[in-house]
Amino acid sequence: MAGCRRLSGAGLREVLGPAQGLLFDCDGVLWAGERAVPGAPELLERLRRSGKATLFVSNNSRRSVAELERRFSRLGFRGVRAEQVFSSAFCSALFLRQRLLGNGGGDGDGGPGRIFVLGGEGLRGEVRDAGLRLAGEGEPSSGAAEPVRAVLVGYDDQFTFAKLAQACGYLRDPQCLLVATDPDPWHPLSDGQRTPGTGSLTAAVETASGRKALVVGKPNTYMFDCIVERFGVDPSRTLMVGDRLETDILFGKNCGLSTILTLTGVSRLEEAQAYMASDSAAAKDLVPNYYVDSIADLIPGLDD
Amino acid sequence: MAAAAAGGRRCRRLEGEAARAALGAAEALLFDCDGVLWRGEAAVAGAAAALGRLAAAGKRLCYVTNNSSRTRGAYTEKLRRLGFPPAEPRHVFGSAYCAARYLRQALPPGAAAYVLGSAALGAELEAAGVPHLGPGPAALPGPAPADWAQAPLDPAVRAVLVGFDEHFSYAKLCLALRYLQRGGAACLLVGTNRDHRLPLEGGAAIPGTGCLVKAVETAAEREAFIVGKPNRYMFDCVVSEFNIDPARTIMVGDRLDTDILMGNNCGLTTLLTLTGVTTLEEVKGHQESDCPARQSLVPDYYVDSIADLLPALGD
Repeated sequence: MAGCRRLSGAGLREVLGPAQGLLFDCDGVLWAGERAVPGAPELLERLRRSGKATLFVSNNSRRSVAELERRFSRLGFRGVRAEQVFSSAFCSALFLRQRLLGNGGGDGDGGPGRIFVLGGEGLRGEVRDAGLRLAGEGEPSSGAAEPVRAVLVGYDDQFTFAKLAQACGYLRDPQCLLVATDPDPWHPLSDGQRTPGTGSLTAAVETASGRKALVVGKPNTYMFDCIVERFGVDPSRTLMVGDRLETDILFGKNCGLSTILTLTGVSRLEEAQAYMASDSAAAKDLVPNYYVDSIADLIPGLDD
Repeated sequence: MAAAAAGGRRCRRLEGEAARAALGAAEALLFDCDGVLWRGEAAVAGAAAALGRLAAAGKRLCYVTNNSSRTRGAYTEKLRRLGFPPAEPRHVFGSAYCAARYLRQALPPGAAAYVLGSAALGAELEAAGVPHLGPGPAALPGPAPADWAQAPLDPAVRAVLVGFDEHFSYAKLCLALRYLQRGGAACLLVGTNRDHRLPLEGGAAIPGTGCLVKAVETAAEREAFIVGKPNRYMFDCVVSEFNIDPARTIMVGDRLDTDILMGNNCGLTTLLTLTGVTTLEEVKGHQESDCPARQSLVPDYYVDSIADLLPALGD
């Protein structure tokens, strides 16, 4: 089991030295709301100069990769390119494209069909950019229009009972996929309050339809498959840095990465320690190898 | 094997001498409504006559339904309209009424409930004297979630109540989460029922209250107290009103995982009717399983329709 050891001093160099690359979660790690975590832009710059790859893997399904690229820049992170960013919105669109378009077109009866998306414009844009067509809201669940081949549940602050009912209508067809961008139950707001996450909406759709969703985001490993496909990373030389034990740290464990918990986001050190003390095997998988108060604490581990 | 060994329930057809004996011995019968007495606006043929004979024989008749979108008054009106023996609101135990009773007893004086639910649920809370806010579309203080998270919270709210809510939205879910987070364990989370689907005529269905309860539970990372079947709270309400004896009470329903399970758990005699959502094959499947949880879904008796009770009720 991972030891949840504070990373500092000589330990820092021992861990960072051999690493070829680092995967970073974004919210609560690089920034909180509209503020970059102090020292985070400098860390990324130093990593770049040390020749280490930096990639970003986020469960946040609100933003397109293009929007995220602009966000990085606006918050003071230099030189982050869209191709380094793996958001659950982008990866969900890729997943659907592979499942529906991957075998040279649909299931034989007229093309890949349409996707019913419960989510905002960022998510819808990624689905369109993947070459898929969207079903509109308020349309009847069956009829002459091209069949709906998947319901995609993302962060949807315009979620309504009517949309839930519409989604269930499509899901009566057992061929229609049910996919969720991420399992997050809630997200922190800057004042300490919480806002419901995709996970809560997915639970409603699953309960109504009697189906289990395929979840693209962390802790499931699909987003890592996307990363490997594009960049060919070696898990044994890659570190995962995140703020949420149940998604980021478990994701790292599932992908064979060493994990670093940063305390600038959702999870508290006490929670990691409680998992460590637990008898359950599942709980042990949520324990990070290391932790830092902030990713700025990693800077001393890098060469000048 | 397991059924016989555990003295498990046998799901025998209720007819002939067994029917006369069971109905004769019963002092009270509890009826689920949808799929038992009626389907939509159409009464099950012979159901009203059967209940008429039971009432004439002096049996106490009560109606126990998970549907939270109607008041007790609306149910008594429907019973009257479809020709059933006269009933008063006190004979009807809907999950809206029972949720209001629960909150009246569980909330400190002056505390209010934030309600995700229908006007009927609001009306039952009103009738029970429980202050509440929420039924209907969300009153949004601005277009974005950032605005919603700044809307002032009512200081009196100490419970979130989730019922059937066709106005359910992310904004309302957000507000529910804020109340639950503010109050912690001191803010109750109550759901009227967990039914995941409401069947409509023709095989379609709309999402049930269970979906909305699950959304709130997932966001809040806690479990709701559920008023409706199969939990026993509604039965406790019946007992407190009428002092019935479980050993002399028959629960009549069409769903195994709500009506029959509650009846079995409360020590009632259970009677499944096949005019609703359950088939005999499903029951056989549970009967033949080794799983104790599935065994507890098996009723004592079944009929094709409650009209089949008429011969046993003749004079």
